[in-house]
Amino acid sequence: MVDETKNESKPDQPHEQPRAPEPARTEPKPAESRPPAGRPPEGRPRGDGRGGEGRGGDGRGPREGGREGGKRGRRGFFRKKKVCRFCVDKVDYIDYKKPEQLMTFIQERGKIVPRRITGTCSRHQRWLAEAIKRARNIALMPFGGAR
Amino acid sequence: MEERLYDLIFICRPATPEEEIDKIIGTLENAVTERGGKVEKKEKWGARKMAYRVMRHREGYYVLLVVRASQGDTVHELERRLKVNDAVIKYMTVRLDEAMKRQKRLQQRREHKAARRPRGPRAGHGHPGAEQPAAAAQQQQ
Repeated sequence: MVDETKNESKPDQPHEQPRAPEPARTEPKPAESRPPAGRPPEGRPRGDGRGGEGRGGDGRGPREGGREGGKRGRRGFFRKKKVCRFCVDKVDYIDYKKPEQLMTFIQERGKIVPRRITGTCSRHQRWLAEAIKRARNIALMPFGGAR
Repeated sequence: MEERLYDLIFICRPATPEEEIDKIIGTLENAVTERGGKVEKKEKWGARKMAYRVMRHREGYYVLLVVRASQGDTVHELERRLKVNDAVIKYMTVRLDEAMKRQKRLQQRREHKAARRPRGPRAGHGHPGAEQPAAAAQQQQ
């Protein structure tokens, strides 16, 4: 997988370099505009950032830019590719007895963070949800906000 | 019946004296061995803060037992004993053996893959002349 993405991203770098400074200028925006990040899943079959962006760099870039541009007056935005952290670490079992690790995957009010935000793959998200729910059951993690 | 592996966690009131906790663990262990099972691990995590209040307590004394049970009613009996005991404020049993099996399987698959990888790229691609430099460049990165 790693090799694939590298292969794809290489030829695209010349395309992206001229665009790169733009998002840097409007840096606070991407963090706020997270919900839109989850919006166009139809456009990208794989759902993970750069693969889709790299391929459609020419055809799709302007369109998306235009969509965003209505708000911002600037076209093009740069999305960092999210990788499943558990896949990187090659995790085979998510232990519910280690709440310190699971705590990073819940929100302030105790909600499980959706995977469109964390980038966790579906399989690991499933295991993660199971682990968090078990941990909640035995009072290792909060149901609501931590008190 | 095949053997099953369980995590048994229970929480005692923080004020419970240590001897009583040991006594509880002892009776549970007895119940397991009576039924032909085995306690594989005993861990006393000690008093720690709970994420929410349980029966008005903010802290609890956590104990973890890993139980290998060969009879179906083992867990039932263990939970019954925990329910009856006043010092225990919360308990949970989790079946582990299937997750462990899955974990083992995934690990094996990964090892297989790792063993296969060295000659993978060269054998897989059609034109070695064109592919090899690219592969070499990727490895350097």
